[in-house]
Formats: sequence, C-alpha cells, structure tokens
Amino acid sequence: MKRHKFLFLFLSAIFLGSLLTGCGEMEFPDPNSPDLENAPVSTLVTGALAGMRVDYAIYLRTVSIVGREAYYFEPADPRYTGEIMRANPDPGGFLLNRPWTARYQVVANCRFILEKAQQTSGETQAGLEGFAKTIMAYQLLLNLNYLDENGIKLDYSGDINAPFATKAEAFAYIENLLDEAYTALGNAGSSFSFTLSSGFAGFDTPATFRQFNRALMARVKLYQGKYQEALTALQNSFVDASAPMDKGVYLVYGTGLGDQVNEIYEDPQADFVKLMAHPSFETDAEAGDQRFATKVYKRSVATQFDNLTSDLAVTITSSDVDPLPIIRNEELLLIRAEANIQLGNLSAAQADINAVRAAAGLSAVTLSDQTSAFNQLVYERRYSLFLEGHRWVDMRRWGKLDELPLDRPDDAVLQYMPRPETEVPGK
Amino acid sequence: MGKRFHHTGLFLFFLLLFSASLLAQGIKITGRVIDKRDGSGLPGAEVQVKGTLIGTTTDIDGAFILEIPGRKEAVLQVSYLGYKTVEIPVDESTTRLTVELEEDVLKTSEVVVTGFATSVKKQNLANAVATLDEKELLPAPAQTLERALAGKLPGITITQNTGAPGGGIDVNLRGVSTIEGSTQPLYVIDGVIVNDDAVQSGIDLVTKAAGAGSRNPQGQPTNRIADINPNDIESIEVLKGASAAAIYGSKAANGVVIITTKRGAPGKVQVDFSQTMGYNSLLKKMGTRRFTEQTAFEQYGQQGRDIFRQNGGIYLDYEDIMYGEKGFLNETFLSVRGGGDKTRFYVSGLARNEAGIIKNTGYKKYSIRFNLDQKIGSRGDLSVHTNYIRTESDRGVTGNDNTNITFGFSLAFTPSFLDIRPKNGVYPDHPFNPSNPLHTRDVFINNERVDRTIVSSKFRYSLLTRTNQTLDFIVLAGVDNYTMRHRVISPPELQYERRSTFPGASLLGKTLNTNSNLYLNLVHHYSASGQFLFTTAAGLQYESQTQDNSLIESRGLIPTQTNVDQAAVTNSYQDRLIKRDRGFFIQEEINIGEKYFFTAGLRGDASSANGDPNKYYLYPKVNGSVLLSAFDFWKFDAISSFKIRAAYGATGNQPPANAKYTSLVGSNIDGRAGLIPSRRRGSADIRPERTVEFETGTDVVFLNGRASLELTYYRQNITDLFLIAALPPSSGFTEEFINGGSMRTQGFEASLAFTPIQTKTFNWFGRINFFKTSSVITQLTTDPFNKGGFATFLGTFRIEEGLSPTSIIGADVDANGNTIILGDAQPDFQMSFNSDFNFKFGFGDFSFYFLWDWRQGGKVINLGKLLTDLGGTSADYEDPATAENLHLPENGTVKESDVAGMTLGPARLNLLGRTTAPYVEDGTFLKLRELSLTYNLPKQWISSHLPNVSYVRIGLSGRNLLMFTRYSGYDPEVSQFGNVAIGRAIDTIPYPSSRSFHLNLSVGL
Repeated sequence: MKRHKFLFLFLSAIFLGSLLTGCGEMEFPDPNSPDLENAPVSTLVTGALAGMRVDYAIYLRTVSIVGREAYYFEPADPRYTGEIMRANPDPGGFLLNRPWTARYQVVANCRFILEKAQQTSGETQAGLEGFAKTIMAYQLLLNLNYLDENGIKLDYSGDINAPFATKAEAFAYIENLLDEAYTALGNAGSSFSFTLSSGFAGFDTPATFRQFNRALMARVKLYQGKYQEALTALQNSFVDASAPMDKGVYLVYGTGLGDQVNEIYEDPQADFVKLMAHPSFETDAEAGDQRFATKVYKRSVATQFDNLTSDLAVTITSSDVDPLPIIRNEELLLIRAEANIQLGNLSAAQADINAVRAAAGLSAVTLSDQTSAFNQLVYERRYSLFLEGHRWVDMRRWGKLDELPLDRPDDAVLQYMPRPETEVPGK
Repeated sequence: MGKRFHHTGLFLFFLLLFSASLLAQGIKITGRVIDKRDGSGLPGAEVQVKGTLIGTTTDIDGAFILEIPGRKEAVLQVSYLGYKTVEIPVDESTTRLTVELEEDVLKTSEVVVTGFATSVKKQNLANAVATLDEKELLPAPAQTLERALAGKLPGITITQNTGAPGGGIDVNLRGVSTIEGSTQPLYVIDGVIVNDDAVQSGIDLVTKAAGAGSRNPQGQPTNRIADINPNDIESIEVLKGASAAAIYGSKAANGVVIITTKRGAPGKVQVDFSQTMGYNSLLKKMGTRRFTEQTAFEQYGQQGRDIFRQNGGIYLDYEDIMYGEKGFLNETFLSVRGGGDKTRFYVSGLARNEAGIIKNTGYKKYSIRFNLDQKIGSRGDLSVHTNYIRTESDRGVTGNDNTNITFGFSLAFTPSFLDIRPKNGVYPDHPFNPSNPLHTRDVFINNERVDRTIVSSKFRYSLLTRTNQTLDFIVLAGVDNYTMRHRVISPPELQYERRSTFPGASLLGKTLNTNSNLYLNLVHHYSASGQFLFTTAAGLQYESQTQDNSLIESRGLIPTQTNVDQAAVTNSYQDRLIKRDRGFFIQEEINIGEKYFFTAGLRGDASSANGDPNKYYLYPKVNGSVLLSAFDFWKFDAISSFKIRAAYGATGNQPPANAKYTSLVGSNIDGRAGLIPSRRRGSADIRPERTVEFETGTDVVFLNGRASLELTYYRQNITDLFLIAALPPSSGFTEEFINGGSMRTQGFEASLAFTPIQTKTFNWFGRINFFKTSSVITQLTTDPFNKGGFATFLGTFRIEEGLSPTSIIGADVDANGNTIILGDAQPDFQMSFNSDFNFKFGFGDFSFYFLWDWRQGGKVINLGKLLTDLGGTSADYEDPATAENLHLPENGTVKESDVAGMTLGPARLNLLGRTTAPYVEDGTFLKLRELSLTYNLPKQWISSHLPNVSYVRIGLSGRNLLMFTRYSGYDPEVSQFGNVAIGRAIDTIPYPSSRSFHLNLSVGL
C-alpha cells in the first residue's frame, strides 16, 4: 500500500474540486440588492417619492367606484363590479390590502429617512425631517380615508396585536406630523440636500414645500370640521384664486428604468375601456360645464358589463405618463369656500366658487343662504375633483352616502373599508 | 471548506484495513454465461464467490476464468443486469461450467444504488425503491422524461401543469412535504446533480397575470429536467422518502431520482436506429354555449343581436379553430455502442421536432451524448459522460391573464356566433374582448431556447484488492451548464397593443446557470469468515450553483421589428442566485449471510442558504431487512422470497437562497434611482426544513417466482416547516420566512407484478400499483392562513392545524359562520395497471402493451369555468341550476332555492362571493397513458435477407389516448402556479392537453 501515492491522489482531487466548484466563501451579501446600512439617504427619498405611486391607481379606482363616480369593467376580476359595489369588501382582498400596504411601505421609507437623518445635522437634518414627516402624514391620511371609523395602525413594530388607533387619534397624529414637519422646514435653509421629483416643481425648496405641507393640513382640518383652523392653514399654503386651478403637487409617471406608468390612463376610443364614468356624471352635469366635457369622452356605443352600463370613458389623463394630482389649487379654493360657508362667510365663499366656475366656463352664482351655498359647493367639488379620490370621502363626511345612486338591486354604498385581514390577529 | 472533515474518512479506512493472508491452491473454473432463451453469451456478467470479494466478469462471448485459491468448495453467484441471479455450488472437481441466466421480469435480482458510491441487491434492500428500466420507461415515445414516468411507479405522482409544448410537470414523491419549500425531487444523473429549475419567461409582463390577485409568477415554465433525452436512459431509480434518501441530506426532502444512462458493452458494435412519426391532437373539448338571437341579445346587448343577425346565426367551434391542429411529430434517434475489455463507448444523437395542437406552437429537442468508460492500468476506471442538448419550445399564450390576451381567456369571451377569422389577411377586432386570439396566435411569439451541456466523470481507483477486502477511491465530478433565452414578442399591430401608449412589446430574457459538484468517496468492502460483508463508505461533497437571470422589456416596437433596441422605451431586470453547499457522509452496510442486512449512515450539510452558513445539519439513517426465506426453517416453496424491512432516516429542504436577507429594492422616478424596503423581511436564523421518515414493509416473491408483491407503509414527520409569516403591512413589510410548523404525511404503497403466462411462444407480464397518501398539519406557530389561490372567494387553500394542507376553502360558510372545507386537492388514491403481452410466431414477435392510470378524487378549482361564465360561453350555461350541479355543500348557507329558476351560468355568477363550491370540481380521471403494438421481424428472415441487421421492429403507439373524467375543464391535471406545494389544482384555462399517436421503425445493426 503506497500511502503517499494515495494521499497525493486524494489531495490533488480536492484541489481539482476546489477549482471546479469555486470553493468560495459560504457567507456573502445579497447578490441582488443593498441593505439599509448601505443605502444613501437620497435614494430613500427617491424611493419614497416613487413608492407613493404604487397601487395608487387601485386606491383611486376603488374610492371612485364606491363614490359612484366610475365603474371599472375588469373581465379578469369580478371584484371591481362585485364586492365593493355591494358594500361587502373582502378584508383579505387586494383592493384593500395592496394600497394599504404600499402606503405603509412609504411610511417605512420615511421612518428610515428619519433614522438616517439622525446621522446628519443642521439644515440637512431639518430638511429630511420636514420632507419625511409631510409625506408620512399624507400616506397615513390616504389609509385613513380608506378605513375611516375603523382607524389605522400607528404602531409600526409588526406586532399583530398592536391596537388600531381611532380615527380621532389618527387625525391628531397626522396633524402632529404635519406641524413638526412645518417647524422643521422652517429651519431647513433655502434648499433641500436631496432632489424631489418633477411633480414637486414649484414646491421643491423648504419654503415652498411648506406651502404644500399647509395645503395638506388644510385638507386634514377640513375633514375634521375644524373650519377656522383650515382657513389658518390655507393662509400659508399656495391657495390663490388668480392662479391656475392645476397649480399644485403631483404624482408623476414615466417609462424610464424602474419607473411606473399611470395605470388610470386608457385610450378612450379603445374597443373596450375598463374605467368608465358613472352615467350620473352626465345626467347631473350643468349644461356647458367644461369639467364634464374634458374629464369624460362620450363613446358611440355604451359598454354593458355585469349589468352595469356606461358610455363615458374617463379622460382625466391623456397618456400613461400624465401626472395625477396630490393636491392642487382648485381643491384649496373649494376647501376655503367650504370652510367659509360653514362659518357663514358666504361672500368669501362665493368669490372662490365663482373662480372655480369661471375656470369651468360656467357663469357666476350668487350664494344666498347657507343650505343652497353648501349644495352648490357639493356640486363644484364633485365636478372639480372628479376621480381625484374625493367624492366618497366627501359624501361620507357630509353624511350623504345614502344620496349616491345605486344601479342594481343588490348594490349598496360602502361606509368604509374593513380592517385588513393582515392587521388583525387570529384571522 | 470544512477542514475538520478532510482526514476523517481517511483515518477511518486505515483503521479498517486488515492485512489479508494469501492461501495456496483451490478451485479453477473456465466457464461461460449464456441467455437461457437463445443460448447467446452474456458479456460483462458478474461471477462472484458468495461471501467473499473474489470475482470476475465475463468477456465478449460470455466466457470467464475464475480462480478460488485455498478453497475446496464454494458457491458462485452469477448475475447480469436484467437477469435473475443464480447460485451454483462448485468444488475442486468443477473445471468447466455453463451458467444459464433467465430474464428477470419481476426484477427481483436488481441492484440498487444506495449512496454516492455503493449499491445493494434489491433482495436485501430495506427501503421501497422504485425502479424502471429502459423498456418500461419508453414503450411509447415521450416528449420529456417526466411524461414518460407518469403512472409507472407507486408513490410517485406525475402531474402536468399545462399541456404546453415542453411541459411544466410536477414530480411528487410521497405527497405533500412542504408548504413554501421546493417541491421537486433531486435529480442525479450518472452521479452528478442536474439542475431542475423552472425559470420564468417574463410573459407576466405582457399578460399582467401576476398583477392583481396574486403576485406569484404565472408563466408556467418548463422545468429543466425536461431537457434530458429519455432515450439515453438505461434505468431510473427513485428514492422516495427520507429513509432512503438521507445520504443526499438537505436536498433530498422531496426524494431523489437517480438516472443511469446507457453505456457501451464489449463485443460487436451495436447500432440502433429509430424513426418515429406521429401527431398530436386535442384530448378533450370543453364545449361552448349555443346561442340564439335572443340569448345573444341578453348576453351582449344590441351589439350581440346585430352581430348574430349579420352572421346569420353561424356556429363557429373556436376550440376546433384554435386547438384543432394535428401537430406533426418526428423523432430520429441513433445510438452506437460497443468497445472492448478496456474501452467502452456509447454515442447517441436525437432530433425531435413536434408541433402542438395550436398553430405556431411546438417543441424541438436535439441531443448528443457521448459516454466513455476506460480502464486505466489494472486499478483505475474512468467514466466520462458528456451531453449537449438544445431544446426549443414555442408555447403560445395560455393560462392566467389580466389583459385578456391569452387564448383560453379570449375564447371564454368569444361566442360561437361571432366571426373573428381573418378576411383577406385582415383580422377583425374582437368586439367583446381586448384581443383577437386568432391574430395573437398567428403573430405573437413566446419562445424558450436552451443550450445545455452536462459533463460528468467518475474515476475509480482501486487502492487495495485482497481476497477478503477491497478499498476504492472514487471521485465524481460534474458540471451542468445551460444558457436559456426567452423571447416574447407582442407585435404592435395586435388589437390590445394598438390601444396602448407604446404599442408592441419585446421581452428578451437570458439565464446563465451553472451547477457543479465534486464528490470524493472512499469505499471499503470487507468480508469476514464468509458470513459477514461490511461495506463502509465515506465522502465529502462540494456543490455550488450560480444563476444569473436578466430580462430586457421594451415597448413601443417599431412595426415589423423585434430587437429590444427597436423600441421607444425599455426596462431591464436582473436577478442572481449564488448557492454553495458543503457536506460529508459516512455509511456502514452489513450483510450477514445474505439473510440480515443493516445500514447506518450519517450526512452532514452546510449551505450558504441557511441563516448560519457554517453550521452542519446532520441527517442520520438506520435501516435493516431480514430475508426470512433464506433461513433453513423456511419451508414454503411456493413463496421463494420473503423479506421484511424497516427504515428510518432524515433529510432536509433548504431555504430559498434569498430568505435570509433584508434588502431594499429599486423604486425609481424621474430617471433617479431610489430604494424602498422589499416586502419580505430577512430571516437571519432560517434553517432547513427537516423530514424524518419511518418506513416499513415486506417484499414477497411467490407462485414459484411468477409474482411479486411489495407493500410499504411510511410516515413522515416534517418539522421546521418554512412558512411565510405574514407581517402586518403597517410594519413596512408584509412577510418573512420562518421555520414554524410541523406536518405529518403518511401513506401506503403496494405493487403487484406478475407473469401468469410464460412460455416459449407467449409471455404476459403485468403490474398493478396502488398508493395513497395523506398529510395533516400538526402544528403551526403562525395563525392559520390561506395560501395559493387568487382570493378566498375564488377558492384557496387553508393551512390550519388538524387540516390537510391541500384543503380547499372558498366563500362558503355554515349556519354558524364557520368556513366549510370544500374538498382536498390530494387524491384519495391512485392506481395504475399495465400489461405487456409478447407473442412469438414463426412470422415474427408481437408485443402489445398498455398502461392505465387512475386517480381517484382530488378536487380542482376550475376558474376557467368562471371565465366562461363571465363571458357567457360556458357549455352548461343554460342548464337548469340544481344543488347537485352547483356542488352546494349540504351544511352551507347557500341553498338551491337561492337560485330557483335560474340557469347554471347566471346562478354560479349570482352566488359568487357567497359560495365557491360551483367552481370546485372533482378531478377523478382514468387515462390510457400508453398503448403500443410492436412487431419484430423474425430473426431467421432477417439473417437470410438482411445481413448485418440484427433486428427490425415496427411499432404503433399512443400516449394519453383516452381520458375518462367528469371534470369540465381540459384536464384535471393542471396547475396555474406551476410546481408549488400548496396552490396547485387551480385551472385558469391552460394550454389544453393533447393525445399523440406514433408510428415507429427501429432497426438494429
């Protein structure tokens, strides 16, 4: 037995094998993506801005369907014309869970930004804080709009047993975030250390971003019926009766690498259009209302689907890279008008309403009493903010959900979304 | 590298070495081993002295010379692959010997591989190992290897996911053993691990299938084992459970399929040529609704009525138009094998080309194999196996879809009175659907091409040869390398593309995959006092895999162009996988007088996929068998062999390679790169799932060797189950991998083989397999959850303690609001029956063979029916609705009265959201899997008319010729989500199944 020969053979085989199998390290980082530690904070800002658009189209469709602004004829998925129009949404379904989740992912990014901001100081830190808290507040508000009386989660630990915050607690939390952000933005110098998306054009310095912050605050105050505070918030926002109605902050879309397109867009003349306006949008429109003419396209043949019929294709976008508003001047004018009506300042409200009407090619109105003024406001909000996610939320806070039209015997109007299955223990 | 294991094996073996004493004088025999049937010599037969390591192999003519020094008498064991082993007593007076061997149709003498470098006679084996030889594998030509396995082995369920060319087939051994882990067995070909990944094509980007209801990829890809040329296979062994497969450690929880390819035999060079032609055709139609002008109006409004009138109430059978192609198939196979005492070779080439039942779909496979065996000096043996394969499939666009472009979806919305056929080359737009499927079919490309090279080598060096012991050093090394290209082209002129902002899409996906492994083994055989045979084996394993997937998606294609740069916008994606594994094993087998047989072994495995990549997880095994019939007390001559056996062993299932990382993923806007947390939180302490199996059974040969029966019971306890634990999304994550549950799977397998008639002119061989398996979740650390479906009301699977993991639930609840289980996707039992009849006549030999495959029970969620209901085209749309044909559960809240007076289609739709039962169907089927009739020209005629030709065979065969089922979709064998453990049996109208007919001519030279 030639022991050395055997050993030689054995060792050379191991050597050969090491070459063959690339006897590399057993421990190595994720070959595909970085972890939080290695991520520059500016990429988290960009990630948050991009993430705000994720599944927003699902949210927008859903609230528009429930608010009877639109139908979504999806042959591949019966839920859009089923459960949510029958006020029986699936707590495990994607219509609820996907937007809910996407918003909290952006919240997580904002929390990461705040964590990373701790490693910076001065204006840089204040700028990051002001940005992150404002965006976080906006994302939470969208989820609160969805769940309303069911509240939202403000404990981010991942503990399934963590309780839901009530609607009032959630509003207080959101207000607090916006206020803290507002203060921080005041200390953030003349420019941010990071770049915002083009949807923030005109609102991309700490000073102008503050106006956006206050605009959101005005909406939050209005939703709670804090009309005087809404007016106060508006004073530092960008509300301006003489500015274009479209002035504001937007979600922007693109076709670049890893970017997203606007899924709300559909060719209105396609053979089959899924997102169709509710027929009442036509029947209730004032003659000559440009908002009707520009926001829908009347097709030659009505589409019939699941016992629903409409011939109005939605045209709030003209391509799949068109932006969608986050908040804009027209809404701010109507917030101011509504607050003023509620506070009895009809003449101030009349000016704003007529500014909005003029932009829609309609004649001025005179607001004679609070009730008719309010009804006028309801109409203007409906047509001005069509398919921007307001109708259902508005009708709910006004206690008018029962006035929404029902199309089929089993249909009902949903009050608010159930708590997602994924947030509730023991399901 | 685990340094501490380098010398363990070495040390052990030197300990075991005993110096052998050489004795003088003895027996010397010159003999020949021949086939009993025709007297021809059997080259390469093994002649062994029982209870020793002395032996030799026969030469080209079957002759041998054997010296047995120092013995006055001995027993020779003569064995040859495919023949029954015989034992012949010899003594000093024996000088010449002729041994006749009989064909072993029941395979009682078979030798089965039990480790990396050891094998054992089936007679002694303590596990139920299923085996198939070449003849059993391919009585009828098969597109891919897995298809050829269907229905042939007890405990093994082969289910196709889609009928698309190239497949996508699930191979399940012994039931459900995981929830989130990998489900496919480990494939080992000629000693090396071969990749069986299923790589997605990216077609989801066009169909948006993974968009709304489920994020799981739904491209229904081919799994890569399909590349292997089944004609090259000599035998297949299946180690079904953990007790048999423990030696493969943490890759073997789903069992191991060991494939041995053909090799050369010494002697005359043998040339085999085979030419097959045939065609595929649609196996079953779903049927469609017959419309009248009135129903056309009710379903599609005024437009429907107008079209109905315009087309004069024409009835177009779109299943015929879409799936009615007779796909021609053509397979040419040539192999040459031969060699001498030192060198043996096997060379083969295959070209297979077949068209599918949908125009522009099909499958091509080209394979070249070269196997070489070379003796090096007196001690070394080198085997090299090389295989180059090119496969290409055109798969069409089928399956789930959220854009209504797949064929099945589109036809569901195409009533028979509508005419969407092209006129003068112009395809009319579909009025009720975003795409014209005939146009899509004619211009859409969904192509997958693979170039693959598998090289493996085995080097055996005999370190020591004595009369009572041998020591071999065996190196196995292999590389499996493939490049795959996916092309998906959705031309801009298509109806749905014309309406998009950037019409036309081109996807180009590339995958580079390399699997490599190296096994170093030492095997020591030691024979003590003629009664004890010890086989000790130990080894080290290195395995690694790298995979690089990239995909370019471009949109806004320039008309007529397909290159990804001929477009307006592009997106690109890349995903890499790196996995490195280290292992060791040690195994001891003891054979006591061919009566008792014991094995103990231990495998240790570390993997980069585990949370702790340096930790070795241990997988022991112990088993034993007793051959009662070998004892003197055994007097039952009718029962020639009776064995009882028991085995215990553990295996693992590795975590997905990315489970341990918490990573950020791309989230870009305005041309700036951003990051956002991925939805999955990393699990730093993830470890393999562990399966511990106990198996026991008996193997009996009775009726004077005319029949054999194998009975096996097994029970697997699977712990540390991977679960994707849901995290509340408010945390920013939605899920994380955890080890958090246990499952128990048990089952029973029986296999009866018989040759009731065996004469010179007529042979009948038959086999009946029966098996059933059931699983139950025994423990869950998470809350019970639903998995696998699109949504609860569309049917999903319930994972809950005490339930079978394949329990189907839906919207159905009982009067107390409790969820009703609508059935189980797992079949109640499965059974197969095959028979092979051989007739020898003066004018030639005939054989007739068939294989029936019966699967009883097993529910399928038929969402294809929902689609045709939504499209108003279900065949049974206008049948009156009853509790029975709605399959309403008796304890459910939904009653027949809820849909009184309604027809089935509207009733099902109306109840949607309240009951899912109408869409849950029984998947019982009986299929005639294989049928063949073969005629061999008489040898005398050939030898006088065709010199040099050894045989001429003409065969007629068919695959999946008949299917009996009440299932209303195309085939109850279906899985929209591919090879997943939970969430199979969901039908969203895949590529329909086909039957195939073949005419074959084989010639041997």
